[in-house]
Amino acid sequence: MINARAADQAGATEALVVPKKKRRRNAGGGHFNRFKWLYLLLLPGVLYFLTFRYGPMFGAVIAFKDYVPFLGIGGSPWVGFAHFTDFFASPDFLRLLANTLILAFLNLVIAFPLTIIIALLLNELRLSIVKRTVQTLIYIPHFLSWTVVASLTYLIFALDAGPLFHLINGILGTDINFLTDPDWFRAVIMLQTIWKGTGWGTIIFLAALASVDQEQYEAAIIDGAGRWSRVWHITLPSIMPTIVVMLILKMGDVLDTGFEQIFLMTNSLNRDTADVFDTFVYFLGITQGSYSYSTAVGLFKAVVGVVLIFGANWLSRRFNQTGIF
Amino acid sequence: MKKRILPIATLAIASIALAGCSNGSGNSNGGGSGEIDTLTIQAPYLSTSAPKADNAVETALEEEIGTKLDITWVPNASYDDKTNITLAGDNVPHVMVVQGKSPGFVKNAEAGAFWELTDYLADYPNLATTLPEVQEASSINGKVYGIFRARDTMRTSVMVRADWLKNVGLEMPKTTEDLFEVAKAFTEKDPDGNGKDDTYGLIIPSWPGAIGTNSPYDVIETWYGAGNRYTERDGEIIPNFDTDEWLDAVDFEKSLIDGGYVNPDFATFDSAKWNEPFLNGKGGIIIDVHSRAASLMNLLKDIEPDNWQNMVDFTGNLVGPDGEMHALPTTGYSGFITIPKAQVRTEEQLRQVLSILNEMNSPEAGKILNNGLEGETYTLDGDLAVAVDDAPEDLKNAVASLSQLGMNVTGFQGYLPKQATEVEQAAYDKRKEIEASDYEKAVVDPAAPYVSDTYVAKGAQIDLIVSDARLKYLAGQISKDDLTSEIARWHAEGGDAVIAELNELAAADK
Repeated sequence: MINARAADQAGATEALVVPKKKRRRNAGGGHFNRFKWLYLLLLPGVLYFLTFRYGPMFGAVIAFKDYVPFLGIGGSPWVGFAHFTDFFASPDFLRLLANTLILAFLNLVIAFPLTIIIALLLNELRLSIVKRTVQTLIYIPHFLSWTVVASLTYLIFALDAGPLFHLINGILGTDINFLTDPDWFRAVIMLQTIWKGTGWGTIIFLAALASVDQEQYEAAIIDGAGRWSRVWHITLPSIMPTIVVMLILKMGDVLDTGFEQIFLMTNSLNRDTADVFDTFVYFLGITQGSYSYSTAVGLFKAVVGVVLIFGANWLSRRFNQTGIF
Repeated sequence: MKKRILPIATLAIASIALAGCSNGSGNSNGGGSGEIDTLTIQAPYLSTSAPKADNAVETALEEEIGTKLDITWVPNASYDDKTNITLAGDNVPHVMVVQGKSPGFVKNAEAGAFWELTDYLADYPNLATTLPEVQEASSINGKVYGIFRARDTMRTSVMVRADWLKNVGLEMPKTTEDLFEVAKAFTEKDPDGNGKDDTYGLIIPSWPGAIGTNSPYDVIETWYGAGNRYTERDGEIIPNFDTDEWLDAVDFEKSLIDGGYVNPDFATFDSAKWNEPFLNGKGGIIIDVHSRAASLMNLLKDIEPDNWQNMVDFTGNLVGPDGEMHALPTTGYSGFITIPKAQVRTEEQLRQVLSILNEMNSPEAGKILNNGLEGETYTLDGDLAVAVDDAPEDLKNAVASLSQLGMNVTGFQGYLPKQATEVEQAAYDKRKEIEASDYEKAVVDPAAPYVSDTYVAKGAQIDLIVSDARLKYLAGQISKDDLTSEIARWHAEGGDAVIAELNELAAADK
């Protein structure tokens, strides 16, 4: 069966390749003529990336300059790596790095596996009406903006007035102020992330689960496999490639700890744990006008992101022989 | 395949480059050294929509000053970004409103983006200010880069629920000690008489700014004699948090909070809802600015139509524990009107722009800028302007926005507004009296005119160290020793350099 599929794919690729004869006859214009509509379809995408993704990258050069708007990007003096050395030497650096990495790590080990677990749980539901209802209900938070989520959090955790404030402190017999206690900041952030993103994150895994070969389950049932062993030996290995790809993609934006979310939940009392690269860049660049310095910080973050994505890809190829590139 | 993509990519890049170029070419006006026949202006607007070009109010203004205007209105929220983009581009206007001495503005000004007006303004009767101390404060190290837009110099106000005061049998506070007593009584003595323990004294919201941003904390610290952001001790400029008075004031604030006389969520309470506890009878004291007392009164009219007249009382600054009043003034200005060098190239052109601005700050033009058109947007009642409520929205927008161009450096050039009711008019007159008498006791920020390079680079960042530590101490998260060690951290992370630079600048100025 696998062979048949491979043969199919080979056939499909062949169909796209221009027959040799024709290619030789009108070398140059022929290829373009033949695929002009495909190229036309490609054009908006290419334009989009050039204009909004590649064009602005040149602006990153101000990380190596002392940018003054009046002098422009070209006219501002070069300072080399001064902003980077300043940043690495500043006491903020370690704090920001730690805060960012801890949040990123929590995201990877809690939020990410949770989407897989929920997808597996949904997959085991027998009544499709229940399954679909639950699915729809857990998608809904995804469509709320972070501003709304933050307001809701403030309402339910508000000191003296929030229902969850009373419930949790009542059960634990404590007096925790979740909104300002720096020790609880990450817990609240993770709670928000999970509430908002988990349902939506299950979509891709549910799609992968739908394509798992049903015959294997039937065979396993005949062999006497229980539910657990079916999940462990059939379902998980089948969706493993999807999990790996999603994990690698996630590594790329693992440092994008969610500017809006964190910015909205930050206050004077929890700032020490709340500050991450994104909020720091906003604060320095937008509110304080240190464009060059904040660009340097942002650039550093981007470089770390690239290293992480290549690292994860390399690791996954070593152990699994699958990667995304 | 790869080679074939190249021509397309080249084409795409070329088309982007062309699109980019076309922006810069539409710049026929001004430039060169010729006479300016249309003055281009960039200004912020705070109304919901920008005023239409050539509206009746603008036309009346153009007739009054004898020059055509071409105003680019930019939403207030994105004004700073737009300012930087404009300065980096080719389409710089003749005249530009700048909203304050932001680090971006300082860098641009020091790089030579704007005309320095220090020696020119005295030649123009309407631009030669009668408030030299404000002009000095608005300068960058003594260099005036813009005509400041004057605002009330004294706004600090304490507003109290007058009906609660009566119920607990106390008078309006005059000293910080009185304030403590009133806040305590409002918390413990059931001022609303409902038999429940559901009220507190002082309402404090979470404050977005760091230190020296007129927060209730800053106000109390100034009352205690710590100075206004900076203070001069033995001839040296030092930050107010280096004084003992400051620490005493913070302890006073902490005693209010520890006693439960302040809303418990003072660290997170949304400042946009500041009025609410006052209006629904949860809290009874607000330390803010005079205009809030007026809006509280106005809001209570709807909620308590029978009793609103007796619910709000207010006073100005309070007397500190040393028996003296140290009043906290404002900076006295809200940004300035600058003249970028990009379009105004010669001194003759500069003189011409200044004489147009001189016309714009005349008493006649000032009435158009501040009040609009008599009979259409306002009518006169003696010396006071009564707003016409059903004036077209267009005209209302135009007046609200054009007032952003008002300089008023020789005093307010429009008609003062008439208040809606006699009670409010009486409150307004009382406010003006308090403002005038408090201003005599104003504590000026000795460092206001000076801009230190280190502060431009790091100030906002290190100031947060102190304001965060202050709040953590008030909330009981850290001890007093931690607070002083955080202040030491401010010094170590750039504060010492800021102080040295400020003192150097001050010495050079004398």
